[in-house]
Amino acid sequence: MTRRLLLWLGAVAVALSAFLFAAVDEGAPRTDADRAYALSKTIGCPVCDGQSVAESNATVARNIRISIAKWIDEGQSDDFIRSELRSNFGDDVDYTPSGDGVTSLVWILPVVFGAGALAGLVIVFRRWKREGDLEASEADRALVEAVRAVEADD
Amino acid sequence: MSSAAVGAVVVALGAAASLTGIGVVVLGLLGRRPQWWRESRALVWTMFVMAAVSIVWMERALINRDFTIEFVAQHGSSQTSAVFNVATLWSALEGSILLWTFVLTGYVAAVVVKFREKRDDPMMAWVLLTLFVVCAFFFLLMVGPSNPFRSFDPPPGYDGPGPNPLLQSHILMAFHPPILYLGYVGFTVPFAFAIGALTTGRVGEGWLLATRRWTVMAWGFLTLGIVLGAWWSYETLGWGGYWAWDPVENASFLPWLTGTAFIHSVMVQERRGMLRVWNLSLVISTFALTILGTFITRAGVLESVHAFSESAVGPALLAFFTLIVVVSLGLIAWRGDQLRSPGRMDSPISREGAFLANNVLFTAFAFVVLLGTVFPLIVEAINDDRISVGNPYFDRMTMPIGFTLLFLMAVAPVLPWRKASPGVLGDRLIWPAWIGAGAMVLSVVVGARGWAPTLAFGLGGFAGGAALRQVVLATRRQGWRGLVGRTNGGMIVHVGVVLIAVAFAASNAYVRQDTFLLEQGQTVTFAGHEFTYESLDFRSFPNRDEQRVSIGIDGGQAYEPGIANYPFAGRNIGIASVRSTLFDDIALSVDSFPVDDAGVATGDVVIRVTVQPLIVWLWIGGLVMAVGTLLAVVPGKRRNPTSPVSAPLPPIDQPVEELV
Repeated sequence: MTRRLLLWLGAVAVALSAFLFAAVDEGAPRTDADRAYALSKTIGCPVCDGQSVAESNATVARNIRISIAKWIDEGQSDDFIRSELRSNFGDDVDYTPSGDGVTSLVWILPVVFGAGALAGLVIVFRRWKREGDLEASEADRALVEAVRAVEADD
Repeated sequence: MSSAAVGAVVVALGAAASLTGIGVVVLGLLGRRPQWWRESRALVWTMFVMAAVSIVWMERALINRDFTIEFVAQHGSSQTSAVFNVATLWSALEGSILLWTFVLTGYVAAVVVKFREKRDDPMMAWVLLTLFVVCAFFFLLMVGPSNPFRSFDPPPGYDGPGPNPLLQSHILMAFHPPILYLGYVGFTVPFAFAIGALTTGRVGEGWLLATRRWTVMAWGFLTLGIVLGAWWSYETLGWGGYWAWDPVENASFLPWLTGTAFIHSVMVQERRGMLRVWNLSLVISTFALTILGTFITRAGVLESVHAFSESAVGPALLAFFTLIVVVSLGLIAWRGDQLRSPGRMDSPISREGAFLANNVLFTAFAFVVLLGTVFPLIVEAINDDRISVGNPYFDRMTMPIGFTLLFLMAVAPVLPWRKASPGVLGDRLIWPAWIGAGAMVLSVVVGARGWAPTLAFGLGGFAGGAALRQVVLATRRQGWRGLVGRTNGGMIVHVGVVLIAVAFAASNAYVRQDTFLLEQGQTVTFAGHEFTYESLDFRSFPNRDEQRVSIGIDGGQAYEPGIANYPFAGRNIGIASVRSTLFDDIALSVDSFPVDDAGVATGDVVIRVTVQPLIVWLWIGGLVMAVGTLLAVVPGKRRNPTSPVSAPLPPIDQPVEELV
């Protein structure tokens, strides 16, 4: 084993253990206020242009924040709170697009795009590999000669 | 003549100059007379002077509160302070189009100066023609639907409402829009050269080299503009946020994404002669996206805090966008044969392979952002449902792209061209890898948890290490010259990107916010800090009244968030107060002043406290990116002059049919 390999194994081991520790250990418990804030960032204020309930200082937004805190206090789930707010204020207060019907396309299309791009890259590289080295044509040689002649004059 | 009429005449003269410019260049091309398009530079200067005079004229009206101009009557006020009087210009649609036009004519004038020695070249005729068309579009917008100089008959004693109060609450508002526009509009120049290359058929590397610095500068301004905008919203909105995936933010981010893809993939074309169609498409999309973004945000089709009121510019912008796309696609299809790239890539594990991957990722990123931004419109058109696509969507979809980009940023700079061997990579990446591992350990030690932020810190350390390694090696070899030039400056930009990525991950993952009802003298503890409500204060200003509370943090200095009432605008807006340190930021804002049953203020206050780590590093990262961009445009190490990369210029007396 070379020294470099050992160094690499060490780096990977250190990174992996830090990663696993951070992923498994939950750290300080999440408070109700943290949950309420995280949720209110994903709910749009019904009367403001493009601001979430967390951002807006409008009265409706403030009232929704209070309702969210109350629901969380009562032990309701995020999904329940979301659907309550959707039925009270309309579907467009929920910033998370649903996965049904036409709306699901917003989730699917990027995946299709990514898969298509990846497939395209694979095909292109395969073709490049198959083509092998290009032979210089007569025209190429003539071009090189012409450039050389010009450079020789300089 | 009324001052509105003077302004309108000046704008009309600018429009006339641009239309004449189109005519002169077209006639010159048709009649094969280079002197025609050569002399069209006089028209360029006319446009520039007219745009400059109209800006000065409008600013004069804003400063003197000349309410006979409708724009001033609607957006100016005798109560606005001097700085924001000047900035009122870009606080509404007509003024921003005026600023856009001015910046555009400035760029066109700079092109005429910079390329004066090539002015007989037919390529320059097509470049000028494209620029004249874009200028004509914007001048005509100002003559028609977005006329900044409509006249107004103010009743005696009239005073305007002033600009949107949110826009006059922070000094950054004076810088963010003009810098953003310098970026946005700057992409017109590479676009014009791309069109010139396509029409003349000189689709080799010449046009790329000619516009390389222009693109990088425009990109740098756009970057700085976006970061300043984020900073502005953080400092003024007071809820601890700086990026909300708002349609207007997305509109500025889209050209940034395609522009970033472009400045990377041009290197493949310069070096290997490949990706020609791709690069042309990226330049054209970047420019088209600046127009589409303006349409999305200025035509009132999408709701946004940035959106101005609805107006007739929408259809015009959409038509212009369509024109750009149709003409560009047509030209690319027409030149298809000549655009076929002569080279091929030897291996995906190479510098050019990494640039290709970079491009796929940035394009996917742009696709996600564009799709998410316009998707509500599409759904509404299909089945009349109103839905929203907001931060949960963008966060989830862009996170994997962001991680992959960070990984590429670590690996790509050390990859050699053509083909890399595992041994070379293993040698060059070992120390960056250890920096990444160290960053992860450090984050865990200081208490950070969660897989996503930890991965971001690790990849950030890896990418930052790789960038620093390049800078260190280059400065060791070349001294101070190791800091300038495209590659070295680019690595400094990378360091800035890493700072922003790490700050973004940390602030998003560990933000804490809560509201507290406080009586005077009361103290609460939150997120490891103590907050004491010390006093309440009323202040009067000519244009607003402020109610400020004094909140002592950790028994030390007091911060004063509050609420301002602008009677003219009829709006209350919050005043945030932020304490920044290198480790964490505390943003304070006033949620409300409670009243008792009789409606009398109780003297208590409800404050909102947001604590998040590493925010300052977002702005520092933005600054590092701007500095890196500047270093990148300083000429670096001189390369040996190489053989011509583009076909030689044809003699000018050749008929135009043979030229194109």
